[in-house]
Amino acid sequence: MFEIISNLIAAFFTLAIFSFLYKDNPMYRLAEQLLVGISVGYGIPLTWQNAFIPFVYQPIFIQHKWYLIIPCLFGLMYVVRFSRSLSWLARYPIAIGMGMTGAGVVLSMNAGVLVQMRSAMQPIDNINMLLIFIGTVTVLLYFYFSKAHTGFYGKITKVGVWFMMIGFGASFGNTVMARISLLIGRIQFLVYDVIMGFIK
Amino acid sequence: MEFIKKLQDLDRRWIYLIVALAIVIPLLIPFNAPTYTTSPTEKLYQMIDSYSEREDRAILICFAHDASTMAELYPMEVAILRHCFERDVKVFTLTFLPTAAPLINYAIDMVKEEYPEIQSGTNYINIGYKPGALYLPIVVGMGDNIAEAVETDAEGRKLESLPMMKGLTNYNELKLVIETSGASFAGGWITYARARYGVNVAAGVTAVMAADAYPYLQTGQLTGMLSGMKGAAEYEYLTDVFAAYSSDDYPNGRPFSKQVLKDKEEISKIDIAKKYDPETKTGIMYKWKTARLGMNAQSVAHMMIFIFILIGNIGFFIDRHQQNKEKK
Repeated sequence: MFEIISNLIAAFFTLAIFSFLYKDNPMYRLAEQLLVGISVGYGIPLTWQNAFIPFVYQPIFIQHKWYLIIPCLFGLMYVVRFSRSLSWLARYPIAIGMGMTGAGVVLSMNAGVLVQMRSAMQPIDNINMLLIFIGTVTVLLYFYFSKAHTGFYGKITKVGVWFMMIGFGASFGNTVMARISLLIGRIQFLVYDVIMGFIK
Repeated sequence: MEFIKKLQDLDRRWIYLIVALAIVIPLLIPFNAPTYTTSPTEKLYQMIDSYSEREDRAILICFAHDASTMAELYPMEVAILRHCFERDVKVFTLTFLPTAAPLINYAIDMVKEEYPEIQSGTNYINIGYKPGALYLPIVVGMGDNIAEAVETDAEGRKLESLPMMKGLTNYNELKLVIETSGASFAGGWITYARARYGVNVAAGVTAVMAADAYPYLQTGQLTGMLSGMKGAAEYEYLTDVFAAYSSDDYPNGRPFSKQVLKDKEEISKIDIAKKYDPETKTGIMYKWKTARLGMNAQSVAHMMIFIFILIGNIGFFIDRHQQNKEKK
């Protein structure tokens, strides 16, 4: 019984969201705002239970690890962001956060730049490597703006544009596939879970 | 000509309706479209399969998405979990998103229904939700000691006390991390866990994210990748052909083989159009073929979109040709 009711509620809100395709209406807006509200409402008690209790309350008040009050105070400094006179205090936790992110720059450089460069510098022993070579060089030349894109140089950069267009096309094709998949997911729910479930 | 002109002015809502029908009809009347598997999916499948029945090997699935991308990512998670339960591969599940926590339970419960012998703590450990602020300490900490880095599972049990942890200490044993995400491609795992500890990282991504992830796949930083609903369909298919296969020679699934995938007689046995019969236990259950049925609708919808683009372009060029004629 619970499953039928929950499925019917989900089906109602799915159709309410789809109704936007016809035109904007109050049902669509209700569903949209409920989604945001429920997500936040769900996240707060879950974070309280899984973050505050095991990592703040229990260590400080039960295990008496008093030094943990220091990071908690830094965390609380985020809240003073809403006060005009004290908002400057929020910069400290932001600075610490930025510092932690910065610690990952070296490793990110390895994964995002160095390894990518190394794999682009392979011997051209097959058609794929040749295409990668031409694509990398011509696209890089396109983004070199200290020389006018005219004459022979302009023709080379045009090849780079073509490579980018093919890349964008592939990316757009994937996007269409992803959006259709989301629609399929919802229709599968309506067809198999709601309608078929009701018939059973 | 008038017809083409009328099509140019067609209300977009008619197009929505046609696309919706192009999806609903193949779902109501399923057909057995062939599923071709790609190398990134096969590599991931083979890696997981190589950990079968090994005490000192495990994989981790990191659920990094909420319900909005379930259509693409959830069938992947179900297929991977099914593969692991079929082939006795130890699994950890984890999330840093509060909204993904119920999805883990939902996926595990759905798969477990068909595997009554599978036990929490023995065959799998659901670490559950851990706050995003702990992402780095956990990802890096698991390189030293998994039980110390995450401490407790979703049920509040100490990890070190669970039987599955026997033989598992850190990334030396937890050899593969799979992140299913609609907004990233396991970047954090690649940066911190792979670069520092050499753990294999794979990604299950939405099709939108696939283009961004390909450079990491090409450089070998991603061991395997499931791309959108297509990737999920491929994994479902491989699980059916190999892991869920049963015969006198292979009672608990058979090893991956390219030859089997090319064998038309073997492949014809996998029929997604046939309804599952619970009494004779023939056919494939709906939950094991969700992505493949979805791909049927996907193919028809793509054809419709292609036809619309073609008609739109024909109309555009005819219109331009006529305008040029009038100018002259």
